[in-house]
Amino acid sequence: MTDSSQPTPSPEALDDLAGEYVLGTLDDEARRSLEQRLPREPVLRDAIARWESRLTPYTSMVDPVTPPPALWARIDRSVSERTLREGTDADSRVAERPQASNDDNATPWWSALWQNLPLWRGVSLASVVAALGLALAIPLQSDTGPRYLVVLSTPQHTQAGWMIQAASQRDIELIPLEDFQVPAGKTLQFWTKADDWSGPVSLGLVDASGPRRLTLDELPPLQENQLFELTLENDGGSPLDRPTGPIQFIGRAVSL
Amino acid sequence: MRARHGGPAFRRLSLVSPVRGLEARDARVTHNNPNEDHGQLLMACAKGDQGALQALYRLEGARLLGVVQRIVSDRAVAEDIIHDAFVNIWTKSHTFDAERGSGKTWMFSVARHLALNHVRRQYREVTVDDVTAEKLDAERSLAASAEIEDSFDWQGRGDLDRCLRALGPERRNCLFHAYVDGYSHSEIAERLDRPLGTVKAWIKRSLHTLRECLS
Repeated sequence: MTDSSQPTPSPEALDDLAGEYVLGTLDDEARRSLEQRLPREPVLRDAIARWESRLTPYTSMVDPVTPPPALWARIDRSVSERTLREGTDADSRVAERPQASNDDNATPWWSALWQNLPLWRGVSLASVVAALGLALAIPLQSDTGPRYLVVLSTPQHTQAGWMIQAASQRDIELIPLEDFQVPAGKTLQFWTKADDWSGPVSLGLVDASGPRRLTLDELPPLQENQLFELTLENDGGSPLDRPTGPIQFIGRAVSL
Repeated sequence: MRARHGGPAFRRLSLVSPVRGLEARDARVTHNNPNEDHGQLLMACAKGDQGALQALYRLEGARLLGVVQRIVSDRAVAEDIIHDAFVNIWTKSHTFDAERGSGKTWMFSVARHLALNHVRRQYREVTVDDVTAEKLDAERSLAASAEIEDSFDWQGRGDLDRCLRALGPERRNCLFHAYVDGYSHSEIAERLDRPLGTVKAWIKRSLHTLRECLS
């Protein structure tokens, strides 16, 4: 076989390459160089797709392995965080905003809040009204530094369930917006992570029945875009220093 | 050479099924409708529906974990790869094209190639050029035993059955050690106790045989 030494590979050589890629017999270097060619070589992509279609049914020779419940929770969390991040980028490009003046400090806090579209997108109108009503009820205390609001909604962003209001960068209050029934044997655990932290930090177990005040003494001051989430853990909370149960509510801090 | 747990492939000797035709037909019937579902769920993912991703996970998570674990031979690594695979499935779902294959095939490809990238990155192999491979093949072909049995229970699973039958059991074993076990050329050579060049040439010729059979 001398196909591979020719400048323009024959259709057969290309199909061989596709077949070996799908089988998995290409070495690391060959795999990488092939994957780099894919975006601009539709013929190669098609050849690969054909071999994938022919061979995929034979994966059924392998016995399934039941994943642990924590694996989906991990995937769900990664996807939720990604969705939130990308939502911010995408909406800043396409959103039609009630455009306030461009002066840096002229935007009123309620406008900044309103303009955070990913926060509101898909969240039910009733929850928005409830959250805004509560936000408006916070007395303005401009002498304590930046103030923050977080609306925690379900991972699918269909329902706001909790909000966090922060009178300062250290004092926060977690407020339920509606009844949340915690299943027997389970508990809600409260977590936070800022963009530059390596991992989430537990803020403790949460009783769903009423508001709860917390002082973030052990943590850096609250910052813009800081992630908060409530996960459903077994009684006593997550056995690890990170969430192991599914996310129930998730949201990011917006400065007012 | 990396450690392999158990080597389950070698416990599965071939059992020629007397109802082969029926099995093949059944396989097609049971696979058709779910394939359409997979495609629709992927399109829902592309629109931002996380529930669709969860449905895909429920449908295929266990099978994908099995396939990936077989390749990487490590439970924790396999779970990491499944995590990455589903994040990729989510972020790349808009690139899924139903014209070019089923949703199920697309998902398995995403996960398998992550697993293959992982094992190939870790175990770079010495390459043998094709000319040497051909020469070795010529020298050793006579020595190849005709009594090797199938190590994989491959029949009745896909449309490729008819063409796979045209290959000898040892060449089928080569293909499936690569495709199912994720073995490299040299790992297959070691496992089958054949020269590396012979294994490379066998695989290449097997692909030719399959392509001609399908055309």
